[in-house]
Order: sequence, then structure tokens, then C-alpha cells
Amino acid sequence: MALRDWPIKRKLTAMLVLISGLVLLLTSAAFAGYQYWSLRRATRDALSVRGRIIAANSTASLAFANDADARELLSALRADPHIVAAVLYDKGGHVFARYPASIVGDLVPAAPGPDGYRFERGLLIGFQPVEETGSQRLGTLYLASDLGAVYDTFRLSGVIGLAVMAVALLAAYLLSRVLQGTISQPILALAETARAVSTRQDYSVRASRLGSDELGVLTDAFNQMLGRIEDQNRALTQSQDELQRYAADLERRVEERTHELKERNESLRRNAAELLAANTELDAFAYSVSHDLRAPLRTIDGFSQVLLEDNAAQLDEAGRESLHRVRAASQRMGTLIDDLLKLARVTRAEIRTEDVDLSGMARDIAAELQRATPERQVEFAIAPGLKARGDARLLRVVLDNLLRNSWKYTAKQPAPRVEFGPVEANGGEAFMVRDNGAGFDMKYADKLFGVFQRLHSAAEFEGTGVGLATVRRIINRHGGRIWAEGAVDQGATFYFTL
Amino acid sequence: MLVCAARLGAQAGRASEAQVKAVFLFNFAQFVDWPAEAVPDSHAPVVIGVLGGDPFGAFLDATVRGEHRGARPFEVQRFQRVEDITRCDILFIGRPVGDRPEEILARLKNRPILTVSDADRFAERGGMIRFVTDRGRIRLQINPEAAEAARLTISSKLLRVAEVITPTGR
Repeated sequence: MALRDWPIKRKLTAMLVLISGLVLLLTSAAFAGYQYWSLRRATRDALSVRGRIIAANSTASLAFANDADARELLSALRADPHIVAAVLYDKGGHVFARYPASIVGDLVPAAPGPDGYRFERGLLIGFQPVEETGSQRLGTLYLASDLGAVYDTFRLSGVIGLAVMAVALLAAYLLSRVLQGTISQPILALAETARAVSTRQDYSVRASRLGSDELGVLTDAFNQMLGRIEDQNRALTQSQDELQRYAADLERRVEERTHELKERNESLRRNAAELLAANTELDAFAYSVSHDLRAPLRTIDGFSQVLLEDNAAQLDEAGRESLHRVRAASQRMGTLIDDLLKLARVTRAEIRTEDVDLSGMARDIAAELQRATPERQVEFAIAPGLKARGDARLLRVVLDNLLRNSWKYTAKQPAPRVEFGPVEANGGEAFMVRDNGAGFDMKYADKLFGVFQRLHSAAEFEGTGVGLATVRRIINRHGGRIWAEGAVDQGATFYFTL
Repeated sequence: MLVCAARLGAQAGRASEAQVKAVFLFNFAQFVDWPAEAVPDSHAPVVIGVLGGDPFGAFLDATVRGEHRGARPFEVQRFQRVEDITRCDILFIGRPVGDRPEEILARLKNRPILTVSDADRFAERGGMIRFVTDRGRIRLQINPEAAEAARLTISSKLLRVAEVITPTGR
């Protein structure tokens, strides 16, 4: 198992034991190093003391060449099993006495080395000068000791150290087993709670708080979080239920409304079809009536004319006047029929779309009006470069009607003025025809575009009441819209889009 | 035994008996303390005297040359008669006068002079140190009582390597 997957209890215990083990190890190593060093020094010091004593005692032996005495002196070293060799050299550097008596070879240097004690080849050796106080040197003492004493002591303290370390580690382990609980217990409790929450989806459980340290704070925060989640969960469930109810209600209502709309649609479609049929019928009827009405009308007018020309003498003034009225009325009826036929044609005509120069068209119409009635002085203000896409023939009918209207209704103005130009309407491009003529009451704005709807009497301004109806039809057939603004004696403005 | 034989050979080979004795005479100065009145001042020479026949030749002079005991140099003086001895610290009594030492010792009685000789039974007869030649080796016999009487102190180390003679049987 990888270290990071260890349970926290084991991690804590391992950590504590590892730390105390390391501390113990370092301490022991430092102590052992110090002990080794001080043991060697103590051993060297002890050997040097011993050397000095023997040297002091052996002065007379050397001075008076008594080697038996010297050997006896050296043999006292038997008490120390670590002394492996001892040699006395005389003044000339020759071996004078040795211990043990049988010793030979490497352990007996042929001649004394420099004075002093040192470690050499695993041995502690020393050359001690032999001299009586204040006098010349008599010889040299050589001592060699193995390091058994050092190693024995070292081994003993090593064993003791290991035993102490084992006991200390065991104690550290046991103690850490107990102490790690103070840290791991709250964490485990938290983990257990978290598991319960996530597996059972039960937000009502709470972790128990074991202390007021950071883990206690964590536990509190965790519990608070759980509480909040529980509250939010409840609120969520409630609003979800509510939402479901709303959704169901909405669905039901949508269904009802859809059903209703479907029905209404259906009836509208039926109505539209009926209307279309009726309209077509009406158009056909109007056309045929208008057409059929023209023949008898022409007969009435023709014979009235014949009567006036051929039999004028036989008629009195009143008779002639009556015939004139008959003729005027029949001619007016003819115009009316022509207009109605025009309206019917507009409805039936096919639209051919092309680019149309509206400005040029308006100028032509204005010039035509001026030619027809040269005695009137009307100021035309036609914006240049106005273009549109549509049926040129029909659009000419529109402009002709609107401009002719303006021309007509400004007749009583001292300074008549008619304007054609572009305008901004509802965020889109529109055209307008404005005059400063008789105007109209906005109350009747709806009626302007109806067939035979007239706001002025024929005596005031002549007209059939078909022109604006025709205009609206053409605009509608182009997919546009037409409306008007005005006030009595304040002029009128007609707006249209295409 | 083998070591002893080797030593004998070595001693015989490298130094004559006279030479060894000369060194011993010189070495005595290190193991004997004289009373304060015997030392006139701290730089006074340590006098090694030879009375009668001199067996050392040039060896004794060679041995002490350049040596000191503390600040005191060594000096060798030769006397023909005991009356000639003025100041002396170590006196070797040679032949023939040494053959009858009692007379000389009587003359030197109570003077702080270390008396040395190879005369027979010298220690028993009131001398302080006798050289004994034993199988080619020089041994010492010491009479501490005599030294004591002359107010000389002989180091116990020296006594240890010597044969102690007590003529009074004390």
C-alpha cells in the first residue's frame, strides 16, 4: 500500500515513531562518537601514566645495567591483559629488556621511535623517555596496547544504547498509539459522517465535536454546511414541487389556448375563404355591373344630347335645363363607373416588380396637372432621387391619386403647396405627400380609404370616393401600409411604405 | 638465559669494565642526595675524585664531559693521598690504597663523601658502595648505614638494583 493511502492513524503513529527513532539515532550516534573519541583519549592517557610510572621506576635499572630488575619491573604489566608488548631501550637505542620475555618480530621495534603516544596499526603505542629528574636521558620505554579496552567498553555501551533505543522506541510507539487518537479521532468521525452523508444522501446526520481546536472548528463548519445543505434541499424540493404544479398548469393552459387558437384559426380560414370568394364575386359583380351600366348610360346621354341639339327649339328653358342636368348626371355616373372599373382592375391585375423612379414620376404628374389647369399656381416640392421596387403602372396610379388629391384640396388656399419626400416611420423608410389644403378631422381618418367614403361634398370638392380606396389596395398588394394625418384647414399628410 | 648471554657479550664487546664503572660513578650522582652544607652554591661542580691508582684512564673524563646535575657541572680530580682531598662528592678508592680502606674511611669519617671501591668486602668494612664483578657483569653492594652516617641519602631505586650490606647485622 502506498504511503499516502495509509490510514491516518498509522500515518500519525509512523510519523511519531520515525521522528523519535531519528532523534534517538542521532543522539546515540553523537554520543557513541563522543564516547569513542573520549575512550581513545582516556586509554591513551592511562597508557601514558603507566608509561611514566614504569619509566620512573626503571631509571636505576638502566643506569646500572640491571636487566633482571628491568624485566621484573616490566613483568608487572601482566596485570593488564591489553598490554601486548613493552620494551626498554638503553641510552644507545639497543633493546635492554622486554615483556613478554618471548616476544619477537613486529611487536618489538628495532630502535625507539619519536617520543609520544599514538594509534598505529590498530594498536596504541608509546615511546616514553627514561630519565632521572634533572639529568641526562638514560633510555626509552616502549609500550604497545591493543584497543580491546576501548572496544569492550564501546561494545558494552553499544548494547546498552541499543537496549535503551528499543525501549524508547517501544515507549514512543505505545505513546503515539494513544496520542494520535486526539488528532485522528475527530478526522475519522468527520470522514464517517461524510461517508454516511454521501452514501445515504442523509443530510440530517451531524459529526460529533471532540474538542475546540482547529478540528473542532472544522467539525462545526462541516455541521453548519450540512445544515445549510439540508435547508437548501428542503427549499429546493418545495420549489420543485411548486414548479411542477406550475408546469402542469401551464401545459394545461397552453393546450387549451392551442385548441382555442386552432379553432379560431380554422374559423378565420373559413372566413377568409368565404371573404375571398365573396370579394371575388363582388369584384366580378362590380365589374359586370359597371360594364353593363355603361351601355344604357351612354344611350341616356346620347339621346339627351340629340334631343338638345335637334329639338332645342321645341323645348322651353326649363326643359333644356332638365336635359342638361340629365346629361351632367349621366356623365358623372360614367366617371363613377370608370373609377369602379379601375378599382376592380387594380384588384385583379398582376404585379410586375421593377425599379421605379418615384421622383421622376411625381414630377411628370405635377407637370401634367399644371398643364391641365394652367390658371392655378401650386408650389411643388419633390425630393430628388426617390426610388422603390414595385409595379410602375400601379405606383403611378398611387402617386397620381395622392398628388391630384392635394392639388384638388389646396384649391381654396391662397399659397398652395404640395410636398413629396422621404420620411422616417417606425424605424423604417416611408414616403409622404403633404399639402396645406383643406385637411380633415382625425376622427374620420379610418374612413378616408373606404370606397365611396367622402369627407367633403361634391359641391365643395368634386370626386367619386374611389381614389384612396384604389390607392390602399395597390399599397396593400405591394405589402405596404398607408395612413394619414391631418386637421381641418391645417392640411393633410399621407404616409405610405412599400 | 639466552638474553643474559647476549647482554654479557654486548657489554663486553662495546665497553670495558673500566668504562662501565666510569659510567656507574657518574650515574651515582643522580641517585644520591648530599646534605645542603656539602653544596657551597648551586653552580659548584660535582667533584668525582679518584684516590690512588686510576683504572679509568680517559674514560671517566670522557663520561662526565659536558654533563650537569641541575646547574652543576661535573669535575674529575685525582688525589694521591687522603690528606689531599679538599672538596669531593664521590670518591673512588683505587688500588693499592683501597686494599686497606679502614684507614682512609676513618680519615673521611662523617664527611659527606660517597665512597666507592672494588676492594674486597668494602661495604662490610665501612665503605658505601662496592663494584662486584660477577661473571663479567658489574654488580653493586651498598652499605646504607655508612651513607646514612655521612648524611647521604641513597635513592630506593638505587638500593633496589643493588645488594644491601648491613655489617652491624641490623
